Amino acid sequence: MFANLTDKFQTIFKKIKNKGKLNENDIKNCLHEIRIALLEADVNYKVVKEFINSLHEKMQQEKISESLTPAQQIIKIVNGEITLILGSKQNDLTVSPAPPTIIMLVGLQGTGKTTTTVKLANYCRKKGYSPLLIATDIYRPAAIEQLQVLGEKSDLPVFSIGKNESAVNIVKAAISYSSKKNYDVLIIDTAGRLHIDDKLMNELQEIDENIPLREKLLIVDAMAGQDAVNSAKVFCDKIKVSGIILTKLDGDTRGGVALSLKKVLGIPIKFIGIGEKVDNFEPFHPERMASRILGMGDVLTLIEKVETAYNRDELKKLDKKMKDHNFDLNDFYLQLKKMKDIGSVDQIMDMVPGFNNLKNRIDVTKLGDREGELKKIEAIISSMTVEERENPSIINGSRRKRISRGSGTQLPEINKLLKQFYQIKGMFKKGAKLKNLSFN
Amino acid sequence: MNIRNIFFQFKEGLYKTRIEFANKLGYLFSNSKDKSDFLEKLEELLILSDLGTSATAEIVDEFQQMNFREYKENNFIFFKEKLKAILIDILNSNAPDIKLNEDRLNIIMLVGVNGSGKTSVAGKIAYRLKNINKDIIMVPADTFRAAAIEQLKILADKVGAEMINTKEGADPASVVYDGISAARARKKNIVIIDTAGRLHTKTNLMNELEKIKRVIQKEANNYSLEILQTIDATMGQNAIAQAKSFNKSLGITGIALTKMDGTSKGGIVIAIKKELDIPVKLISCGEKLNNLYDFKADKFVEALLD
Repeated sequence: MFANLTDKFQTIFKKIKNKGKLNENDIKNCLHEIRIALLEADVNYKVVKEFINSLHEKMQQEKISESLTPAQQIIKIVNGEITLILGSKQNDLTVSPAPPTIIMLVGLQGTGKTTTTVKLANYCRKKGYSPLLIATDIYRPAAIEQLQVLGEKSDLPVFSIGKNESAVNIVKAAISYSSKKNYDVLIIDTAGRLHIDDKLMNELQEIDENIPLREKLLIVDAMAGQDAVNSAKVFCDKIKVSGIILTKLDGDTRGGVALSLKKVLGIPIKFIGIGEKVDNFEPFHPERMASRILGMGDVLTLIEKVETAYNRDELKKLDKKMKDHNFDLNDFYLQLKKMKDIGSVDQIMDMVPGFNNLKNRIDVTKLGDREGELKKIEAIISSMTVEERENPSIINGSRRKRISRGSGTQLPEINKLLKQFYQIKGMFKKGAKLKNLSFN
Repeated sequence: MNIRNIFFQFKEGLYKTRIEFANKLGYLFSNSKDKSDFLEKLEELLILSDLGTSATAEIVDEFQQMNFREYKENNFIFFKEKLKAILIDILNSNAPDIKLNEDRLNIIMLVGVNGSGKTSVAGKIAYRLKNINKDIIMVPADTFRAAAIEQLKILADKVGAEMINTKEGADPASVVYDGISAARARKKNIVIIDTAGRLHTKTNLMNELEKIKRVIQKEANNYSLEILQTIDATMGQNAIAQAKSFNKSLGITGIALTKMDGTSKGGIVIAIKKELDIPVKLISCGEKLNNLYDFKADKFVEALLD
């Protein structure tokens, strides 16, 4: 089974890589695989059809290049086409010339509006704004409380006047409140609703007509299927959506909905949600998404994140250690701690090509995630001698017993740790190699 | 007592979906130029209903086997009946219905990815059971999501069911333990457990669910356990991976298909049944407490095609 579209493409191209030239038959086989991969990725049927047609034309027109292998050539074409659809530039929030900038989040039930409201506010605060959250979901039980609790946790103010006022009145009250308090970005969390629910769609229109909304952002679940285009279209028709936020991209969804929405609606995808924590949220980079789809991994995002967690000297040191195969248990422990700072190990591995497969084989996901696990590892490693840390291969049976006694852990736990260390060491070696992969 | 008998209104709730699907189907059967055109339109219809490429390919292939003249002569009705039969055959299951046994503890646990409708379905099941005078204990094992406990509490109060007290951040397995002890102490024999939404790829969160199951197995004796996974009808092919992963960790006894009141077809359950043999047991179709219905394969397919 293919873990995702990325892997699928890699498999397709591996097939062609071994052949000398690209003929019509190769093109057909390749298109067939790409088509299935895109459909399995939940790209809308009609979008796939158009995409494949234009791809076919491009492939036929393309002259056999002297400098590129057929696989490289196809990657170039497919990459070009996907990037063409996703757009080439990044779209940030637009801000009103005179404050406050008012942003409304809308979407179907369970797509992640409330969580995203808080994440977006946190993002705005990091950019120097002073955000206020507005709770207008007067329908779902405890929805307002949810926003209040989340706001409190992140130290973000939430405006609420309960469930007895209409949504538009709540927003009006929030605006007059904000002018006294100098909030300059107002983010409205709305109730989840079906696009065919006229009463609730009218509620959105009423807000839209009475409030100067700068951004109307549609929240879309990245795991959504074929119908996502239809529901999104209705939201766009009713309130002229200005951008899309894709949520739950931290799972293994292939996220083909990104391609469909951009192609059919032409509205930019502005942000993506990639986890349950408030800062698991980042701008959408079209070119990175395309390269991610193509199996090049989202290396850019990874590098950026790693850079904020490591300073350059450290990075150089680590790089050298990996190259010289000197990566030892001290480094292992340090890396785990760092990875925890960057995000989860999961997230990092998702971004680097080829790591996805490894992830399924190695249970490293547990490592970075759990405070307790980390403490145990710390205890084990600090019960080792300097020599053992630098050269774990010398840790024999009697040394293990001593470490076990010293750290208050069980022998199997020490074995497990060592096993994981060797796996990760091997992985870093592979990762270093993969990073240098270039298709051009 | 068989829950199935009390969920009966489901076809009516599917009205909107049905109309749209039927229109497309009529168009499909009456407007095809030739066999390959027909097969392509059939493929489009199935893919757009989220059946996925492999289930779709197999169904299309069955039609491919038929000869073209048959198609011309019998047209709409023959092919519709054929398609119906294929889909019902996939969805039919020998799995037992959700049963309540008077002589033992009945535990119903809801699991699924974030936003798939676990808490709502928990409330709806409680409502159904309360309506036939069953005594229920509700267990808020979602101690992670902000205000999830409050949400379940509001539903429990509305329904008139008792809920175990806990607070945000508590260990979910210990909340479940409390729920089972309370049921035993108060001689109540139905426990409904709402769990936190989690992506199926998060190993530590899946381990947490496995731990809850172990607690149930250890603490409850003489019990029956129904583990229902909520699947959002708007989901695409990723729902197969979701079902696979939850099933591997817990052994899912059935699916509650949610959000069927929109325009999504929920065809993903056909792919899931085909690939993993996990039956759909309940359908949630609307925001009211009584919008939870029994799943019957023939009705589901009929509602889609008639």
